[in-house]
Amino acid sequence: MQGRVVVTIVTGQAEASRSPEPARSGMVRTVWEHRADYAYVLPAIVVMLVVIAYPIYYTADLSFFMTPPGLQLRDKTFVGFDNYSAILTSGVFWKVTWNTLIWTLASTIISFALGFATALALNREFIGRGVMRGILIIPWVISAVAASYIWKWIYHSDFGIIGAILVGLHLTDRPPNFIDSVGTVLPSLIVVNIWREFPFAMIMMMAGLQTVPEQLLRAAKVDGASAWQRFWHVTFPHLRNVSTVTVLLLAVANFNSFIIPWIMTGGGPSNASHIWITHIYELAFGRQRWGVASAYSVLLFFILMTLGYFYVRALSGDKKERGA
Amino acid sequence: MTRLTLGCGAILRGTVVIASIASLISAPALAEPPVDLSKWSPEYVRSIAGTEEFDTAEACGKVTPLDYKGRLTFWYQGVFEGDPDLLRQYYKDFFETFRKTYPNIQLEEQALTYNDLLDKFRTALLGNAAPMAVRLQILGGTEFASKGYLEPLKPEDVGWSSEDFWPGAMKAVTWEGVTYGIPTNNETMAFIWNADIFKRAGLDPDKAPATWDDVVKYSKQIHDKLGIAGYGLVARKNAGNTPYRFMPQLWGYGGGVLDEADSNPTYGEVRLNSEASKRALQASYDMYVRDKSVPVSALTNQQADNQPLFLGGQLGMMISHPSDYNVMLDLQKKATGSDKDKAQTVIDNMRYGLIPTGPDGKRAVVFGGSNIHILKPEYVDGGKVDVPAAKAIICFWTSPEWSLKMAYAGSNPGNLNGFKTKWMKERLDNIKFLDVTTSMLPYGIPFPALPQAPEIMNIIVPDMLQNALTGAMTVDEAAEDAAKKVEDLMGGGGL
Amino acid sequence: MSTIAETAMPRTHRRKRVDGWRWAGRIFLALMLFYTAVPMIWMLLTSIKSGFAAMQLPPQWWPAEPTLASYQKLLDPQNSVGADFLRFFWNSLFVSTLTTILGLIVAVPAAYAFSRFTFPGRNFLFFSVLLRNMFPAVIFLIPLFILMRWIGLVNTHGSLIITYLTFGLPLAIWLLKGFYDNIPIQLEQAARIDGATRFQAFVLIVMPLSIPGIIATAIYSFIGAWNEYIYAYTFLSKNEQLTLPAGIQRFFSENTTDFPGLMAASFMMSVPVVVLFLVLQRSFVRALTEGAVKH
Repeated sequence: MQGRVVVTIVTGQAEASRSPEPARSGMVRTVWEHRADYAYVLPAIVVMLVVIAYPIYYTADLSFFMTPPGLQLRDKTFVGFDNYSAILTSGVFWKVTWNTLIWTLASTIISFALGFATALALNREFIGRGVMRGILIIPWVISAVAASYIWKWIYHSDFGIIGAILVGLHLTDRPPNFIDSVGTVLPSLIVVNIWREFPFAMIMMMAGLQTVPEQLLRAAKVDGASAWQRFWHVTFPHLRNVSTVTVLLLAVANFNSFIIPWIMTGGGPSNASHIWITHIYELAFGRQRWGVASAYSVLLFFILMTLGYFYVRALSGDKKERGA
Repeated sequence: MTRLTLGCGAILRGTVVIASIASLISAPALAEPPVDLSKWSPEYVRSIAGTEEFDTAEACGKVTPLDYKGRLTFWYQGVFEGDPDLLRQYYKDFFETFRKTYPNIQLEEQALTYNDLLDKFRTALLGNAAPMAVRLQILGGTEFASKGYLEPLKPEDVGWSSEDFWPGAMKAVTWEGVTYGIPTNNETMAFIWNADIFKRAGLDPDKAPATWDDVVKYSKQIHDKLGIAGYGLVARKNAGNTPYRFMPQLWGYGGGVLDEADSNPTYGEVRLNSEASKRALQASYDMYVRDKSVPVSALTNQQADNQPLFLGGQLGMMISHPSDYNVMLDLQKKATGSDKDKAQTVIDNMRYGLIPTGPDGKRAVVFGGSNIHILKPEYVDGGKVDVPAAKAIICFWTSPEWSLKMAYAGSNPGNLNGFKTKWMKERLDNIKFLDVTTSMLPYGIPFPALPQAPEIMNIIVPDMLQNALTGAMTVDEAAEDAAKKVEDLMGGGGL
Repeated sequence: MSTIAETAMPRTHRRKRVDGWRWAGRIFLALMLFYTAVPMIWMLLTSIKSGFAAMQLPPQWWPAEPTLASYQKLLDPQNSVGADFLRFFWNSLFVSTLTTILGLIVAVPAAYAFSRFTFPGRNFLFFSVLLRNMFPAVIFLIPLFILMRWIGLVNTHGSLIITYLTFGLPLAIWLLKGFYDNIPIQLEQAARIDGATRFQAFVLIVMPLSIPGIIATAIYSFIGAWNEYIYAYTFLSKNEQLTLPAGIQRFFSENTTDFPGLMAASFMMSVPVVVLFLVLQRSFVRALTEGAVKH
């Protein structure tokens, strides 16, 4: 095995040095040598470019204009950075940012924790496990639109079933106010979001748990490690990669989630459940403020880019350690 | 204003009514309208019904020959599962009859839901993919006219005359002196209540609350005595029907967003923070916060969410269309067993009345409806507009026969001649409570005919309600905040 | 396996510990099941009520007169509702399947390249593929609409398929890359020494080993495309082309909502994806387990 590996590397290098290309700049030569590699990624890049480059350009461009209600979009007026300064000085912006922070962090952390815990609980064989797994998957698979309407119905301040049950059991005399009060609306929506998101974390962690080597676990058990110690020192480190990916994907999905807050409360009451995405949508489609909405998007993009960069760097750094 | 005795009050009210009718007629009144608007009352409406015959095919054949060959794309607010069966039937009949009358016009119609239509139309325009003709609700048209998307269009272009339509409706389709569309139907809502709930709460089951202050009082009484919600307040943002329910209240108290309730509005002055407007907002506050007598879910409710409450006997009164009655009839027909009886009880107890007045006797309601427009070719999918085909379908929809039939259950024909058709007679006999909403028509006030109107009505006004009702701002602050937003908006700026 | 370990330890002490965790796990699972299932049950119950019964207060727990009328309406091709629903169903199926297949064709080679090759710009391209998800989908609605118009794809399913491709690609590439990272490179090297080209080694040796990853990616793409609402709603206006999430709007009109119809449609809309997932999930996990043991 070892010998073979060495041979291949040598052969590879030999091929490279036998390359007939004249020595242009090092960069161009490397690109040319690897041209076959690009063929593999080309379709992906082309699709992404086409569908992303133009909209990004369009949005960035539009963010410097103002679009009054009486004029067509093409008659927009140039206002430079006015849109950006207006955003950063408006009270609504900070409120919406705060909402978004709470929404994203709470949804991501709790979904992940619940998903992980459920995956652990399902990790051993028992009767009915398959059925249970199937039931637990359903919230993720069901359409967000349908889920929003069902939960809206359940939460209804006047005749939702939660209220009906509590009043019926004489625990309260008025149905609890979930989505019509400024203080409780965001947590209530987060509960719905978690309901939808945790199965995804569960699936990912289930797949990850399958890759934990049995021998290590057995060895630890023989050595007298408790269940918790086995989990913390054997299972968890092995899952770091999957966890990172899952958390990142959950965070991005939650940041971008639109349907649940929009359909359930439309951002209300009184902007208490507006997150960045719904606010942008309302600005663009409800109030026709295309310029401002575009400026918002650009801001959002930069924030995400920065966070994402650090996160991915942490992820790639991880990979480098493992010699991938 | 000082308190008046009953006799003077009646005179005052009568004067107000005539004055408002006169204001509606004050627009270009060159010829005589086909019906005498100054005599408007349920008895008058009954007397003119069934007095004239109209042949739609013949009338429209003069505008576009019946064998005309062409193609037309057309969008409209469709009727779906939630709408009364008989209305759905009429819509089907309309398209069938049109196709039979004009067999060589290839019609590609697209039905969109109430909430979708505006969104999709705006999106389509941005991508130059709009249909050739569109039927929009009354609030939407001015925005597109002011942006230059619409082709000038007036009733004369399709063989009718401007006098055949409500003056207030014609005002709503006019921008800077040019008419850009034709009204298809106009509607004013009425006040609907549950007689059984009124009786059990100790109120007269057959009388609607006379004033908005009475509404607050009745709502409290119903809630205190029976533990259910009294008035169906709605305050959701981005939902078209919030302003339809709040503006009658606002105007009734003598307030307004701008001066749209005056006889000759110039839209120059913001009145959202006037004393009268604040009193109107205070009434809502009293109901929601002080008395807790309206559904808690009002903040996220649209009118569609009030209907289950009403039909479940959990709501005492609300503003709505007579079509609710038909919906109820449909539901009862489809219910079985014990549910059928329960449904029948609800039907038996539905009552309709005029919308309450403000403390000064001012009665107002939103003059709603839809208009039909033609687009300019450069914004249309395909780049061309088949004008004769568009005129054909517009002539059809705004004809006396069809403008009535398509508005059968809950609305009124845009074309005033529709009131004279035999179907109107049939309607008066079959649709219970129709004469109530018909008699509300003179009290109708159209939304300001401004491109900013959708944002004002769908966002700023509900925002104001929500700010006040959640306690995020006091009533005064909420009104001032909203007034400032309107000022900024009218001034061309604002975030 | 575990029994061997158990019998080796003092019985009483070991059993108490294990039971504690196990019971906690069971209670937790029960709670999660409750949390998950109750809304679904409520949806089902509402869908078998008549329109009037659904609006009752206090709500009827079990409908006094259960009826399958809503379902019959949805599945009856003669009925206008049924005809529409079946057409939406077919549209969704078409769009989702194509999105999945095309997505795989694009993602698999790309993931392999990111995993195996080092070429200039590799990290940048990998990161930028991920970037797409960082941009709020909502704001792209209008420029994409204009772009689609320019390409001539507006009001066609092609516009949706291309858009959905970009939604699913980042996760697909990342997932698959992870799989390829775990497949020892020696296998391909062995094949190449035996005379296979790099491409052949990829297709014949490596790809089959990544089947679980491909299945996982396929499931994710399919479900994402099936449930996507906002783009379908914006890009399509012709009734005949609507996909299920956008088409379900017809149950709402200005003044009323057909709740049983809506719930029945939501249920029917979910059935295919749930079934698909359950069927594929077993083979997916099985393949993974086998893979793990082989190591």
